[in-house]
Amino acid sequence: MNRVLMLILIAFSNSVRGIRSATTASSMAILTIAIVLILAGSATLLVENMAGILEEFGGELQLTAYLDDKTPIEEQRQLAQHVAAAPGVDHVEFVTKEQALDRFGRLAGGAELLAGLEENPLPASLEIHLRPEARTPEAIEILDAALDGLPGIDELAHSQEWIAGYARAVALFRTAVLFISIVLGLAALLIVANTIRLALYSRRDELDILSLVGASRTFVRVPFMLEGTLQGLMGGLIALLVIFFAFELVLPQVRMGLELVLGRADLRFFSAAESIRLVASGAGLGLLGSITALIGGRN
Amino acid sequence: MRRPTAFAAGEAPIRLYHVSKSFMPGQFALQDVSLEVQRGEFLFLTGASGAGKTTLLELIFAAEAPTQGQIVVLGRNVARLGGGAVPALRRRVGVVFQDFKLLQARTVEENIRLALDVIGTPRRAARSRVLAMLKSVGLQHRRFHHPLSLSGGEQQRVALARALVNEPEILLADEPTGNLDPALTIEIMDLIVEASTRGTTVVVATHDHSLIERYQKRVLRLESGRITEDLPSATVATGAET
Repeated sequence: MNRVLMLILIAFSNSVRGIRSATTASSMAILTIAIVLILAGSATLLVENMAGILEEFGGELQLTAYLDDKTPIEEQRQLAQHVAAAPGVDHVEFVTKEQALDRFGRLAGGAELLAGLEENPLPASLEIHLRPEARTPEAIEILDAALDGLPGIDELAHSQEWIAGYARAVALFRTAVLFISIVLGLAALLIVANTIRLALYSRRDELDILSLVGASRTFVRVPFMLEGTLQGLMGGLIALLVIFFAFELVLPQVRMGLELVLGRADLRFFSAAESIRLVASGAGLGLLGSITALIGGRN
Repeated sequence: MRRPTAFAAGEAPIRLYHVSKSFMPGQFALQDVSLEVQRGEFLFLTGASGAGKTTLLELIFAAEAPTQGQIVVLGRNVARLGGGAVPALRRRVGVVFQDFKLLQARTVEENIRLALDVIGTPRRAARSRVLAMLKSVGLQHRRFHHPLSLSGGEQQRVALARALVNEPEILLADEPTGNLDPALTIEIMDLIVEASTRGTTVVVATHDHSLIERYQKRVLRLESGRITEDLPSATVATGAET
Protein backbone atom coordinates (compact mmCIF):
# COMPACT_ATOMS: atom_id res chain seq x y z
CA MET A 1 0.00 0.00 0.00
CA ASN A 2 1.19 3.50 -0.83
CA ARG A 3 2.97 5.22 2.07
CA VAL A 4 0.96 8.43 1.71
CA LEU A 5 -2.31 6.46 1.76
CA MET A 6 -1.03 4.59 4.81
CA LEU A 7 -0.24 7.88 6.57
CA ILE A 8 -3.76 9.16 5.74
CA LEU A 9 -5.28 5.94 7.15
CA ILE A 10 -3.16 6.24 10.31
CA ALA A 11 -4.15 9.93 10.71
CA PHE A 12 -7.83 9.01 10.29
CA SER A 13 -7.61 6.16 12.78
CA ASN A 14 -5.77 8.45 15.25
CA SER A 15 -8.49 11.11 14.93
CA VAL A 16 -11.25 8.54 15.59
CA ARG A 17 -9.23 7.28 18.55
CA GLY A 18 -9.01 10.90 19.76
CA ILE A 19 -12.78 11.41 19.57
CA ARG A 20 -13.42 8.12 21.38
CA SER A 21 -10.89 8.85 24.10
CA ALA A 22 -12.52 12.20 24.96
CA THR A 23 -16.21 11.49 24.40
CA THR A 24 -17.55 14.20 26.73
CA ALA A 25 -15.48 17.01 25.24
CA SER A 26 -16.13 15.76 21.70
CA SER A 27 -19.88 15.49 22.33
CA MET A 28 -19.88 19.07 23.62
CA ALA A 29 -18.17 20.30 20.47
CA ILE A 30 -20.52 18.31 18.23
CA LEU A 31 -23.59 19.60 20.10
CA THR A 32 -22.38 23.20 20.00
CA ILE A 33 -21.86 23.07 16.25
CA ALA A 34 -25.24 21.36 15.84
CA ILE A 35 -27.05 24.03 17.90
CA VAL A 36 -25.39 26.88 16.02
CA LEU A 37 -26.24 25.32 12.66
CA ILE A 38 -29.81 24.56 13.75
CA LEU A 39 -30.33 28.23 14.65
CA ALA A 40 -28.54 29.64 11.63
CA GLY A 41 -29.99 27.00 9.28
CA SER A 42 -33.60 27.48 10.45
CA ALA A 43 -33.31 31.24 10.15
CA THR A 44 -31.82 30.89 6.66
CA LEU A 45 -34.61 28.52 5.64
CA LEU A 46 -37.17 31.04 6.91
CA VAL A 47 -35.52 33.91 5.02
CA GLU A 48 -35.32 31.87 1.83
CA ASN A 49 -39.01 31.00 2.05
CA MET A 50 -39.91 34.63 2.78
CA ALA A 51 -37.83 35.67 -0.22
CA GLY A 52 -39.59 33.02 -2.31
CA ILE A 53 -42.98 34.46 -1.41
CA LEU A 54 -41.69 37.93 -2.26
CA GLU A 55 -40.50 36.72 -5.63
CA GLU A 56 -43.88 35.19 -6.41
CA PHE A 57 -45.75 38.34 -5.41
CA GLY A 58 -43.28 40.60 -7.17
CA GLY A 59 -43.76 38.57 -10.32
CA GLU A 60 -47.48 38.92 -10.15
CA LEU A 61 -47.68 42.53 -9.07
CA GLN A 62 -51.21 43.61 -9.82
CA LEU A 63 -53.84 46.25 -9.30
CA THR A 64 -57.32 45.31 -8.21
CA ALA A 65 -60.25 47.50 -9.24
CA TYR A 66 -63.34 46.79 -7.15
CA LEU A 67 -66.47 47.47 -9.19
CA ASP A 68 -69.63 49.26 -8.26
CA ASP A 69 -72.43 46.76 -7.49
CA LYS A 70 -74.94 48.92 -9.32
CA THR A 71 -73.13 48.69 -12.68
CA PRO A 72 -74.69 46.04 -14.91
CA ILE A 73 -72.52 43.05 -15.65
CA GLU A 74 -72.35 43.80 -19.39
CA GLU A 75 -70.95 47.24 -18.64
CA GLN A 76 -68.50 45.68 -16.23
CA ARG A 77 -67.27 43.38 -19.00
CA GLN A 78 -66.85 46.38 -21.35
CA LEU A 79 -64.93 48.16 -18.60
CA ALA A 80 -62.61 45.15 -18.35
CA GLN A 81 -61.85 45.38 -22.09
CA HIS A 82 -61.27 49.12 -21.79
CA VAL A 83 -58.83 48.69 -18.89
CA ALA A 84 -56.99 45.88 -20.71
CA ALA A 85 -56.09 48.40 -23.44
CA ALA A 86 -54.55 50.84 -20.94
CA PRO A 87 -50.73 51.40 -21.11
CA GLY A 88 -48.64 48.90 -19.06
CA VAL A 89 -51.47 46.39 -18.64
CA ASP A 90 -50.65 42.83 -19.60
CA HIS A 91 -54.10 41.32 -19.16
CA VAL A 92 -57.19 41.78 -17.05
CA GLU A 93 -59.08 39.05 -15.22
CA PHE A 94 -62.74 39.79 -14.59
CA VAL A 95 -63.92 38.25 -11.29
CA THR A 96 -67.69 38.28 -10.85
CA LYS A 97 -69.41 38.54 -7.48
CA GLU A 98 -70.17 34.81 -7.64
CA GLN A 99 -66.57 33.90 -8.44
CA ALA A 100 -65.35 36.10 -5.56
CA LEU A 101 -67.76 34.31 -3.21
CA ASP A 102 -66.65 30.93 -4.49
CA ARG A 103 -62.96 31.82 -3.95
CA PHE A 104 -63.59 33.02 -0.42
CA GLY A 105 -65.53 29.86 0.39
CA ARG A 106 -62.57 27.76 -0.69
CA LEU A 107 -60.22 29.48 1.78
CA ALA A 108 -59.70 27.67 5.07
CA GLY A 109 -62.63 28.61 7.32
CA GLY A 110 -64.22 30.81 4.63
CA ALA A 111 -67.29 28.63 4.13
CA GLU A 112 -68.17 28.83 7.85
CA LEU A 113 -67.90 32.63 7.79
CA LEU A 114 -70.32 32.88 4.85
CA ALA A 115 -72.80 30.34 6.19
CA GLY A 116 -74.96 32.89 8.01
CA LEU A 117 -75.13 35.47 5.18
CA GLU A 118 -78.29 35.88 3.09
CA GLU A 119 -76.71 38.12 0.47
CA ASN A 120 -73.29 38.06 -1.29
CA PRO A 121 -71.32 40.98 0.21
CA LEU A 122 -68.34 40.63 -2.11
CA PRO A 123 -67.99 43.01 -5.07
CA ALA A 124 -67.02 42.07 -8.60
CA SER A 125 -63.47 43.07 -9.43
CA LEU A 126 -60.91 43.46 -12.18
CA GLU A 127 -57.51 41.91 -11.46
CA ILE A 128 -55.16 43.98 -13.57
CA HIS A 129 -51.85 42.19 -14.30
CA LEU A 130 -49.00 44.47 -15.27
CA ARG A 131 -46.31 44.03 -17.87
CA PRO A 132 -42.82 43.54 -16.30
CA GLU A 133 -41.64 46.98 -17.51
CA ALA A 134 -44.68 48.60 -15.88
CA ARG A 135 -43.95 47.17 -12.42
CA THR A 136 -42.36 50.39 -11.18
CA PRO A 137 -43.81 52.88 -8.69
CA GLU A 138 -43.94 55.61 -11.39
CA ALA A 139 -45.74 53.44 -13.97
CA ILE A 140 -48.21 52.23 -11.36
CA GLU A 141 -48.91 55.82 -10.33
CA ILE A 142 -49.70 56.85 -13.94
CA LEU A 143 -52.01 53.85 -14.40
CA ASP A 144 -53.58 54.54 -11.02
CA ALA A 145 -54.44 58.10 -12.14
CA ALA A 146 -55.81 56.88 -15.47
CA LEU A 147 -58.17 54.37 -13.88
CA ASP A 148 -59.22 56.40 -10.88
CA GLY A 149 -62.60 57.97 -11.49
CA LEU A 150 -63.59 55.75 -14.42
CA PRO A 151 -67.32 55.11 -14.19
CA GLY A 152 -68.08 51.73 -12.64
CA ILE A 153 -64.86 51.56 -10.57
CA ASP A 154 -65.58 51.90 -6.88
CA GLU A 155 -62.09 51.51 -5.44
CA LEU A 156 -58.52 50.78 -6.59
CA ALA A 157 -56.22 48.64 -4.46
CA HIS A 158 -52.66 47.66 -5.20
CA SER A 159 -50.14 45.44 -3.49
CA GLN A 160 -47.14 47.64 -4.27
CA GLU A 161 -46.71 49.22 -0.85
CA TRP A 162 -47.25 45.99 0.97
CA ILE A 163 -44.68 44.25 -1.23
CA ALA A 164 -42.15 47.06 -0.77
CA GLY A 165 -42.53 46.83 3.02
CA TYR A 166 -42.25 43.07 2.92
CA ALA A 167 -39.12 43.30 0.76
CA ARG A 168 -37.55 45.69 3.26
CA ALA A 169 -38.40 43.27 6.09
CA VAL A 170 -36.87 40.33 4.21
CA ALA A 171 -33.66 42.30 3.52
CA LEU A 172 -33.44 43.36 7.16
CA PHE A 173 -34.11 39.85 8.38
CA ARG A 174 -31.51 38.43 5.97
CA THR A 175 -28.88 40.85 7.31
CA ALA A 176 -29.80 39.99 10.90
CA VAL A 177 -29.54 36.26 10.17
CA LEU A 178 -26.14 36.73 8.57
CA PHE A 179 -24.88 38.77 11.52
CA ILE A 180 -26.23 36.33 14.13
CA SER A 181 -24.84 33.37 12.17
CA ILE A 182 -21.39 34.95 12.14
CA VAL A 183 -21.50 35.63 15.90
CA LEU A 184 -22.77 32.12 16.68
CA GLY A 185 -20.25 30.63 14.26
CA LEU A 186 -17.41 32.43 16.04
CA ALA A 187 -18.66 31.14 19.39
CA ALA A 188 -18.78 27.58 18.03
CA LEU A 189 -15.32 28.00 16.55
CA LEU A 190 -13.89 29.01 19.94
CA ILE A 191 -15.59 26.08 21.67
CA VAL A 192 -14.19 23.62 19.12
CA ALA A 193 -10.78 25.27 19.44
CA ASN A 194 -10.93 24.84 23.21
CA THR A 195 -11.98 21.20 22.87
CA ILE A 196 -9.04 20.50 20.59
CA ARG A 197 -6.73 22.47 22.90
CA LEU A 198 -7.87 20.30 25.83
CA ALA A 199 -7.28 17.21 23.70
CA LEU A 200 -3.78 18.49 22.90
CA TYR A 201 -3.14 19.03 26.60
CA SER A 202 -4.51 15.66 27.71
CA ARG A 203 -2.49 13.89 25.04
CA ARG A 204 0.78 15.79 25.54
CA ASP A 205 2.59 12.59 26.60
CA GLU A 206 1.53 10.96 23.37
CA LEU A 207 2.67 14.01 21.39
CA ASP A 208 6.04 13.98 23.16
CA ILE A 209 6.50 10.31 22.35
CA LEU A 210 5.44 10.84 18.73
CA SER A 211 7.95 13.65 18.45
CA LEU A 212 10.58 11.38 20.00
CA VAL A 213 10.10 8.66 17.39
CA GLY A 214 10.35 11.17 14.56
CA ALA A 215 6.76 12.15 13.80
CA SER A 216 6.57 15.20 11.55
CA ARG A 217 4.45 18.21 12.55
CA THR A 218 1.98 17.24 9.84
CA PHE A 219 1.70 13.71 11.24
CA VAL A 220 0.95 15.15 14.68
CA ARG A 221 -1.39 17.93 13.49
CA VAL A 222 -3.50 16.24 10.82
CA PRO A 223 -5.36 13.88 13.21
CA PHE A 224 -6.41 16.88 15.32
CA MET A 225 -7.59 18.71 12.20
CA LEU A 226 -9.48 15.61 11.09
CA GLU A 227 -10.92 15.31 14.60
CA GLY A 228 -12.32 18.86 14.41
CA THR A 229 -13.62 18.26 10.88
CA LEU A 230 -15.32 15.02 11.91
CA GLN A 231 -16.92 16.71 14.92
CA GLY A 232 -18.16 19.52 12.64
CA LEU A 233 -19.46 17.02 10.11
CA MET A 234 -21.42 15.18 12.79
CA GLY A 235 -22.76 18.48 14.16
CA GLY A 236 -23.82 19.49 10.63
CA LEU A 237 -25.61 16.19 10.02
CA ILE A 238 -27.46 16.45 13.35
CA ALA A 239 -28.50 20.03 12.49
CA LEU A 240 -29.77 19.00 9.06
CA LEU A 241 -31.85 16.17 10.54
CA VAL A 242 -33.29 18.36 13.32
CA ILE A 243 -34.22 21.15 10.85
CA PHE A 244 -35.78 18.59 8.49
CA PHE A 245 -37.97 17.01 11.17
CA ALA A 246 -38.92 20.40 12.62
CA PHE A 247 -39.86 21.59 9.11
CA GLU A 248 -42.03 18.53 8.54
CA LEU A 249 -43.65 18.98 11.95
CA VAL A 250 -44.30 22.73 11.73
CA LEU A 251 -45.11 22.93 8.02
CA PRO A 252 -48.83 21.88 8.19
CA GLN A 253 -49.63 24.61 10.76
CA VAL A 254 -47.68 27.30 8.91
CA ARG A 255 -49.15 26.28 5.57
CA MET A 256 -52.73 26.66 6.87
CA GLY A 257 -52.00 30.18 8.17
CA LEU A 258 -50.27 31.26 4.98
CA GLU A 259 -53.07 29.93 2.80
CA LEU A 260 -55.55 31.95 4.81
CA VAL A 261 -53.54 35.16 4.41
CA LEU A 262 -51.98 34.77 0.97
CA GLY A 263 -54.21 32.25 -0.72
CA ARG A 264 -51.35 29.75 -1.15
CA ALA A 265 -48.21 28.52 0.60
CA ASP A 266 -45.42 27.09 -1.53
CA LEU A 267 -42.87 26.45 1.20
CA ARG A 268 -39.77 24.42 0.46
CA PHE A 269 -36.99 22.66 2.38
CA PHE A 270 -33.28 23.01 1.54
CA SER A 271 -32.26 21.66 -1.85
CA ALA A 272 -29.64 18.87 -1.99
CA ALA A 273 -26.90 21.44 -2.66
CA GLU A 274 -28.05 23.65 0.23
CA SER A 275 -28.18 20.62 2.55
CA ILE A 276 -24.64 19.67 1.59
CA ARG A 277 -23.59 23.30 2.16
CA LEU A 278 -25.07 23.22 5.68
CA VAL A 279 -23.23 20.01 6.61
CA ALA A 280 -20.04 21.28 4.95
CA SER A 281 -20.20 24.51 6.91
CA GLY A 282 -20.23 22.38 10.09
CA ALA A 283 -17.15 20.54 8.88
CA GLY A 284 -15.55 23.88 8.01
CA LEU A 285 -16.28 25.25 11.47
CA GLY A 286 -14.70 22.17 13.05
CA LEU A 287 -11.63 22.40 10.83
CA LEU A 288 -11.20 26.13 11.52
CA GLY A 289 -11.61 25.51 15.26
CA SER A 290 -8.88 22.88 15.27
CA ILE A 291 -6.55 25.05 13.19
CA THR A 292 -7.11 27.90 15.68
CA ALA A 293 -6.21 25.52 18.53
CA LEU A 294 -3.11 24.23 16.76
CA ILE A 295 -1.88 27.74 15.94
CA GLY A 296 -2.17 28.63 19.62
CA GLY A 297 -0.83 25.26 20.79
CA ARG A 298 2.71 24.03 21.27
CA ASN A 299 2.66 21.49 18.46
CA MET B 1 18.06 -3.91 6.17
CA ARG B 2 19.87 -0.75 7.19
CA ARG B 3 19.01 2.36 5.17
CA PRO B 4 21.78 4.01 3.21
CA THR B 5 23.43 6.74 5.26
CA ALA B 6 23.82 10.33 4.11
CA PHE B 7 27.26 10.82 5.64
CA ALA B 8 30.63 9.51 4.52
CA ALA B 9 31.48 5.89 5.32
CA GLY B 10 34.39 6.62 7.66
CA GLU B 11 32.75 9.58 9.36
CA ALA B 12 31.82 9.31 13.03
CA PRO B 13 28.01 9.40 13.44
CA ILE B 14 28.29 11.64 16.52
CA ARG B 15 30.69 14.60 16.60
CA LEU B 16 30.68 17.47 19.08
CA TYR B 17 33.04 20.45 18.75
CA HIS B 18 33.47 22.75 21.80
CA VAL B 19 29.80 22.41 22.70
CA SER B 20 28.35 24.38 25.59
CA LYS B 21 24.78 24.49 26.77
CA SER B 22 23.36 27.02 29.17
CA PHE B 23 19.76 27.14 30.36
CA MET B 24 20.37 30.22 32.53
CA PRO B 25 22.82 33.06 31.95
CA GLY B 26 26.17 32.28 33.51
CA GLN B 27 25.27 28.69 34.41
CA PHE B 28 26.39 25.91 32.07
CA ALA B 29 24.87 22.44 31.95
CA LEU B 30 27.63 21.53 29.50
CA GLN B 31 30.87 23.39 28.89
CA ASP B 32 33.31 23.07 26.00
CA VAL B 33 32.54 19.42 25.27
CA SER B 34 34.29 17.90 22.28
CA LEU B 35 33.63 14.30 21.41
CA GLU B 36 33.47 11.75 18.62
CA VAL B 37 31.64 8.45 18.77
CA GLN B 38 32.47 6.03 15.99
CA ARG B 39 30.10 3.80 14.07
CA GLY B 40 29.23 0.68 16.07
CA GLU B 41 30.95 2.07 19.16
CA PHE B 42 29.43 1.62 22.63
CA LEU B 43 29.92 4.55 24.99
CA PHE B 44 29.02 4.81 28.65
CA LEU B 45 28.30 8.37 29.77
CA THR B 46 28.71 8.62 33.50
CA GLY B 47 28.81 11.20 36.25
CA ALA B 48 26.81 12.39 39.24
CA SER B 49 23.26 13.71 38.94
CA GLY B 50 23.35 17.12 37.27
CA ALA B 51 26.70 16.43 35.59
CA GLY B 52 25.16 17.00 32.15
CA LYS B 53 24.55 13.44 30.91
CA THR B 54 20.91 13.97 29.95
CA THR B 55 21.66 17.37 28.39
CA LEU B 56 24.31 15.80 26.21
CA LEU B 57 21.87 13.14 25.00
CA GLU B 58 19.18 15.80 24.38
CA LEU B 59 21.61 17.78 22.24
CA ILE B 60 22.37 14.68 20.17
CA PHE B 61 18.74 13.93 19.37
CA ALA B 62 17.98 17.63 18.75
CA ALA B 63 15.64 18.10 21.71
CA GLU B 64 17.87 21.06 22.65
CA ALA B 65 20.09 23.35 20.65
CA PRO B 66 23.65 24.10 21.77
CA THR B 67 24.42 27.56 23.15
CA GLN B 68 27.90 27.38 21.62
CA GLY B 69 29.78 24.93 19.41
CA GLN B 70 28.77 22.52 16.69
CA ILE B 71 27.07 19.13 16.87
CA VAL B 72 27.12 16.91 13.80
CA VAL B 73 24.89 13.84 13.99
CA LEU B 74 24.79 11.45 11.04
CA GLY B 75 26.35 14.16 8.89
CA ARG B 76 23.82 16.86 9.82
CA ASN B 77 24.63 19.97 11.82
CA VAL B 78 22.00 19.74 14.55
CA ALA B 79 22.10 23.47 15.40
CA ARG B 80 21.14 24.33 11.82
CA LEU B 81 18.39 21.78 11.31
CA GLY B 82 15.11 23.24 10.07
CA GLY B 83 11.78 22.19 11.60
CA GLY B 84 11.18 19.42 9.06
CA ALA B 85 14.68 17.96 9.33
CA VAL B 86 14.48 17.19 13.07
CA PRO B 87 11.87 14.40 12.68
CA ALA B 88 13.88 12.96 9.80
CA LEU B 89 16.98 12.83 12.04
CA ARG B 90 15.04 11.29 14.94
CA ARG B 91 13.86 8.43 12.74
CA ARG B 92 17.53 7.44 12.54
CA VAL B 93 18.15 7.79 16.28
CA GLY B 94 16.43 5.46 18.77
CA VAL B 95 15.97 6.78 22.31
CA VAL B 96 15.25 4.90 25.56
CA PHE B 97 14.43 6.56 28.89
CA GLN B 98 14.46 5.52 32.51
CA ASP B 99 10.67 6.02 32.74
CA PHE B 100 10.02 3.99 29.54
CA LYS B 101 7.71 6.64 27.99
CA LEU B 102 5.10 4.15 26.78
CA LEU B 103 1.50 5.01 25.92
CA GLN B 104 -0.63 3.28 28.55
CA ALA B 105 -3.78 3.28 26.41
CA ARG B 106 -2.09 1.33 23.64
CA THR B 107 -1.01 -2.29 23.49
CA VAL B 108 2.59 -3.45 23.39
CA GLU B 109 2.31 -4.00 19.64
CA GLU B 110 0.82 -0.54 19.05
CA ASN B 111 3.53 1.12 21.17
CA ILE B 112 6.28 -0.48 19.12
CA ARG B 113 4.45 0.21 15.85
CA LEU B 114 4.42 3.99 16.57
CA ALA B 115 7.95 4.32 15.22
CA LEU B 116 6.84 2.62 11.99
CA ASP B 117 3.53 4.51 11.75
CA VAL B 118 5.26 7.89 11.60
CA ILE B 119 7.02 6.87 8.39
CA GLY B 120 3.87 5.33 6.89
CA THR B 121 5.08 1.71 6.93
CA PRO B 122 2.35 -0.48 5.42
CA ARG B 123 0.38 -2.44 8.03
CA ARG B 124 1.52 -5.88 6.99
CA ALA B 125 5.21 -4.97 6.85
CA ALA B 126 4.89 -3.11 10.16
CA ARG B 127 3.27 -6.10 11.82
CA SER B 128 5.96 -8.51 10.73
CA ARG B 129 8.72 -6.15 11.88
CA VAL B 130 7.02 -5.62 15.24
CA LEU B 131 6.63 -9.38 15.69
CA ALA B 132 10.29 -9.95 14.86
CA MET B 133 11.26 -7.24 17.34
CA LEU B 134 9.00 -8.69 20.05
CA LYS B 135 10.62 -12.07 19.49
CA SER B 136 14.11 -10.61 19.82
CA VAL B 137 13.23 -9.02 23.19
CA GLY B 138 11.31 -12.14 24.27
CA LEU B 139 7.89 -10.52 24.55
CA GLN B 140 5.88 -12.11 21.75
CA HIS B 141 3.42 -13.50 24.31
CA ARG B 142 2.76 -9.94 25.60
CA ARG B 143 1.82 -8.50 22.20
CA PHE B 144 -1.76 -7.53 23.08
CA HIS B 145 -1.08 -6.51 26.68
CA HIS B 146 -1.08 -2.94 27.92
CA PRO B 147 2.10 -1.51 29.51
CA LEU B 148 0.59 -1.27 32.99
CA SER B 149 0.11 -5.03 33.10
CA LEU B 150 3.84 -5.56 32.45
CA SER B 151 6.78 -5.61 34.86
CA GLY B 152 9.34 -2.78 34.78
CA GLY B 153 11.81 -4.95 32.89
CA GLU B 154 9.18 -5.91 30.34
CA GLN B 155 8.17 -2.26 29.86
CA GLN B 156 11.79 -1.30 29.25
CA ARG B 157 12.10 -4.13 26.74
CA VAL B 158 9.04 -2.71 24.91
CA ALA B 159 10.64 0.77 24.94
CA LEU B 160 13.86 -0.75 23.60
CA ALA B 161 11.95 -2.62 20.91
CA ARG B 162 10.28 0.64 19.87
CA ALA B 163 13.65 2.39 19.73
CA LEU B 164 15.19 -0.38 17.61
CA VAL B 165 12.31 -1.40 15.32
CA ASN B 166 13.32 1.23 12.74
CA GLU B 167 16.89 -0.09 12.73
CA PRO B 168 18.36 3.24 13.86
CA GLU B 169 22.00 4.09 13.26
CA ILE B 170 22.29 5.52 16.77
CA LEU B 171 20.75 4.30 20.03
CA LEU B 172 20.68 6.69 23.00
CA ALA B 173 19.66 5.39 26.44
CA ASP B 174 19.20 7.66 29.43
CA GLU B 175 19.52 5.59 32.63
CA PRO B 176 17.71 2.68 30.94
CA THR B 177 18.10 0.43 33.97
CA GLY B 178 17.52 3.07 36.66
CA ASN B 179 14.16 1.57 37.65
CA LEU B 180 15.12 -2.09 37.37
CA ASP B 181 16.50 -4.73 39.73
CA PRO B 182 19.98 -6.22 39.02
CA ALA B 183 18.71 -9.26 37.10
CA LEU B 184 16.49 -7.19 34.82
CA THR B 185 19.29 -4.63 34.44
CA ILE B 186 21.59 -7.26 32.92
CA GLU B 187 18.77 -8.48 30.68
CA ILE B 188 18.21 -4.98 29.25
CA MET B 189 21.91 -4.15 28.97
CA ASP B 190 22.57 -7.40 27.07
CA LEU B 191 19.91 -6.37 24.53
CA ILE B 192 21.52 -2.92 24.13
CA VAL B 193 25.00 -4.39 23.73
CA GLU B 194 23.58 -6.80 21.16
CA ALA B 195 22.31 -3.82 19.15
CA SER B 196 25.81 -2.32 19.13
CA THR B 197 27.30 -5.55 17.86
CA ARG B 198 24.94 -5.26 14.89
CA GLY B 199 26.56 -1.90 14.01
CA THR B 200 24.39 0.58 15.90
CA THR B 201 26.29 3.36 17.65
CA VAL B 202 25.20 3.27 21.29
CA VAL B 203 25.46 5.91 24.02
CA VAL B 204 24.20 4.88 27.47
CA ALA B 205 24.00 7.41 30.30
CA THR B 206 24.31 5.70 33.67
CA HIS B 207 25.66 6.23 37.13
CA ASP B 208 25.70 2.48 37.81
CA HIS B 209 29.40 1.57 38.15
CA SER B 210 28.69 -2.14 38.21
CA LEU B 211 27.52 -1.88 34.59
CA ILE B 212 30.64 0.00 33.55
CA GLU B 213 32.82 -2.63 35.19
CA ARG B 214 30.84 -5.54 33.77
CA TYR B 215 30.75 -4.46 30.13
CA GLN B 216 34.22 -2.86 29.82
CA LYS B 217 33.26 -0.31 27.17
CA ARG B 218 34.50 3.20 26.49
CA VAL B 219 33.57 5.52 29.39
CA LEU B 220 33.15 9.28 29.30
CA ARG B 221 32.94 10.91 32.72
CA LEU B 222 31.21 14.26 33.11
CA GLU B 223 31.57 16.58 36.10
CA SER B 224 29.70 19.90 36.27
CA GLY B 225 29.21 19.85 32.51
CA ARG B 226 32.84 19.16 31.60
CA ILE B 227 34.50 15.97 30.39
CA THR B 228 36.92 14.90 33.10
CA GLU B 229 37.76 11.43 31.86
CA ASP B 230 37.55 9.53 28.56
CA LEU B 231 38.57 5.91 29.07
CA PRO B 232 38.78 3.79 25.94
CA SER B 233 37.49 0.25 25.95
CA ALA B 234 39.69 -2.74 25.39
CA THR B 235 36.95 -4.16 23.22
CA VAL B 236 35.78 -1.02 21.42
CA ALA B 237 35.32 -1.65 17.70
CA THR B 238 36.11 1.76 16.27
CA GLY B 239 34.77 2.06 12.72
CA ALA B 240 33.58 -1.53 12.88
CA GLU B 241 30.63 -2.65 10.81
CA THR B 242 29.08 -0.32 8.29
